Amino acid sequence: MANLLWLQGGACSGNTMSFLNAEEPSACDLVTDFGINVLWHPSLGMELGDNLQQMLRDCISGKIKLDIFVFEGTVVQAPDGTGEWNRFAGRPMKDWVRELSDVADFVVGLGDCATWGGIPATAPNPTDSVGLQFLKRDHGGFLGKGFTSKAGLPVINVPGCPCHPDWVTQILVGVATGHAGDLTLDEFQRPKTFFQSFTQTGCTRNMHFAYKVSATEFGQRKGCLFYDLGCRGPMTHSPCNRILWNRQSSKTRAGMPCMGCTEPEFPFFDLAPGTVFKTQTVMGVPKDLPEGVDKKGYVKLTGAAKAAAPEWAEQDIFVV
Amino acid sequence: MADAVQTLDISPVGRVEGDLDVRVDIENGVVTNAWTSAELFRGFEIILKDKDPQAGLVVTPRACGICGASHLTCAAWALDTAWQTEVPRNAIIARNIGQLAESLQSLPRHHYGLFMIDMCNKNYRNSKYYEEAVKRWAPFTGTNYELGVTISGRPVEIYALFGGQWPHSSYMVPGGVMCSPTLSDITRSWSILEHFRTNWIEPMWLGCSIERYEEIKTYDDFMAWLNEKPEHANSDLGLMWRMGVDVGLDKYGAGLEKFVSWGYLPHEDKYNNPTIDGRNAAMMMPSGVYDSASGTHKLMDQSFTREDTTHAWYDEAGGPVHPFDRTTNPVSKNDADFNGKYSWATAVLHADNGHLEAGPLAREMVYGGDHMEGWQHSDGLVLDMHKHMGGSNVLLRHFARMHEFKYIYRHIERCLKEFKLDDPFYIKPTEQDGQGWGATEAIRGALCHWIDVKDGKIENYQIIAPTTWNVGPRTGEEERGPIEEALIGTPIADPSDPVEVGHVARSYDSCLVCTVHAHDAKTGKELARFKTA
Repeated sequence: MANLLWLQGGACSGNTMSFLNAEEPSACDLVTDFGINVLWHPSLGMELGDNLQQMLRDCISGKIKLDIFVFEGTVVQAPDGTGEWNRFAGRPMKDWVRELSDVADFVVGLGDCATWGGIPATAPNPTDSVGLQFLKRDHGGFLGKGFTSKAGLPVINVPGCPCHPDWVTQILVGVATGHAGDLTLDEFQRPKTFFQSFTQTGCTRNMHFAYKVSATEFGQRKGCLFYDLGCRGPMTHSPCNRILWNRQSSKTRAGMPCMGCTEPEFPFFDLAPGTVFKTQTVMGVPKDLPEGVDKKGYVKLTGAAKAAAPEWAEQDIFVV
Repeated sequence: MADAVQTLDISPVGRVEGDLDVRVDIENGVVTNAWTSAELFRGFEIILKDKDPQAGLVVTPRACGICGASHLTCAAWALDTAWQTEVPRNAIIARNIGQLAESLQSLPRHHYGLFMIDMCNKNYRNSKYYEEAVKRWAPFTGTNYELGVTISGRPVEIYALFGGQWPHSSYMVPGGVMCSPTLSDITRSWSILEHFRTNWIEPMWLGCSIERYEEIKTYDDFMAWLNEKPEHANSDLGLMWRMGVDVGLDKYGAGLEKFVSWGYLPHEDKYNNPTIDGRNAAMMMPSGVYDSASGTHKLMDQSFTREDTTHAWYDEAGGPVHPFDRTTNPVSKNDADFNGKYSWATAVLHADNGHLEAGPLAREMVYGGDHMEGWQHSDGLVLDMHKHMGGSNVLLRHFARMHEFKYIYRHIERCLKEFKLDDPFYIKPTEQDGQGWGATEAIRGALCHWIDVKDGKIENYQIIAPTTWNVGPRTGEEERGPIEEALIGTPIADPSDPVEVGHVARSYDSCLVCTVHAHDAKTGKELARFKTA
């Protein structure tokens, strides 16, 4: 039995909604098959008002053991560091977050808001939002660079806007079944098992990428979205094309460019005019190249790709 | 007698998606006054200022993880009207199916996950249905809770086939959609829809076929259906109704009895050159305002929208103004003063009718009118039930939400039939400056976005969400907000566990995460000339 408490700060509930799409295990399986006892969840909890406040205080005092503290949403610090713009259960949410993180065995940040600030922290960051242990790329965040939970781990970051339900459920099952020791985290405290590979890994448009055949506008039945439509699949770490979304598809498979939402910079370029769904280029070469590829290598690669491209690559392939 | 009044502050009221605080005055076990406070602000409209015109397609779905497709729908249509695009019929259908799939998902998810578990509250242990309710609906372990919550993930698989993922896709763009589905996307969608029907709608929710349920046109028809067979009475719908009446959910939660809907689902051949003014004439589900005191229906138009900040945490002189005319000026210190300012939500009004209730009950009351054209949707069932029950109540409001499965299901079928896969899904538009407006009906009610594009960037972006209508505070003339009014008369059996307040709030399915607001964190000063929802 592992006690789990799930709270939301500056959140849209998107990670909760994504979580509820889970199968194998489903949200209910976590409780009935894996012994996870959900103390409270903002969308699902029974308690309200004073009864909830008492439960939170009991977690902090140790009367109720808090095994896993899951946080979704940003930590809102406005105005002037008081956190009064996000009040919960009678006080600033940030004060609950601090005290609950200190008593939890494991702290899990779900989604970009909780990991690095996400959309609410986009300039000018009107709510003075931060993630639990990062703000964008800056290590520190709300809990500080040196924070570790009682089990000795930093915040386990499961990013994405939202994060995929399987990323969440597998981590929770892993922790609840004593496999936390098998978790290896990358420099942004993401579980490597999910975030070592790229969004492009497994994309159905890989052959078009290889032959530099571009989808030049939306709704086409061929082409890679990287060259013109701003896709960040080759630079983004996620398993979106290995573990499909809603068991069916992924954004890139459906024709939507990857926006890099598992990376700390999301939304990229702060959504400045001219940057949305458009590849940023300098002299015809993309500003952001596939990870590890330099400009010279890219020019050679695409030159060879163009020269080698077979005729079929320019024809519709995802046909009716 | 003043000394008999007990004041109860409930912080938070959970399962309303966001942070809602409610203050109620209780006299002799009954609520006599109420205040609702929205307690979370994220500043989405501030973030959008000066950004790429298409930034709303990325940011606004993330205003609400529950209604992301609805926000995306509004954001896309707002840009279409601003850029004067042409939208091909396939794209209209692909947008509609996204909106519909999200709404269908929300029916079992909200019903089992958020609403019905209250039936397992110990306050109802004396009901003869209690034992069965716990067996079916207890959180996580109830038989039907588990199936209902899990199967709620299926309709959005259809969304993923067109949009890549749910939640938080941005596949709707000015000029159409990003996808170009193939036949297998259509056939797979059919299969998912069928699975949902044969595993939840018919065996668990109805205890009969959809066709049998569609024969219900009046309150008397519904009662006849309920008593026709044990399968009907013992279905989740049948048991919800019988237990709801048994524990008195039909006795409180009336509200203002004035309703609003923007209408939605543009017809695929009637909105290919979208304009703000042409919208009402293109919607399959008609817009409207219904005032039950006078029994009158009329069309709704965005120009009637007003916002009143008297009791909201803004310092703005003058009376109610149209959202485009707000000079957003938040107060720097958001202490709750229930005689003064006590919420970040503004009071959203109709210029002539004041506060209005948004949501499924509002839509259904609108569909009961005769103000629409013959080809547009009409359905008199809920309006007839409203008359028989002597007005609105918690049970009817929730019934109205669940009743909508009927046409959501039929409209998804229709979309799948209407696609012409060899025709275009996207016509590249020319970016230009201009003002736009896009609206839809999220499952929980009227949602709309205004955009002003100037010099190739967003000058002004404004959102009014269904919860802004419903959870808003009093007006300058001290008219209570819809939920505040609905709380009046609510019996509270146990002030230490006021489940009845939760029932009223949850019957509105309020989404506090949608009330996005505009501030400067450091100074609290106005950052931009646009409103907060």
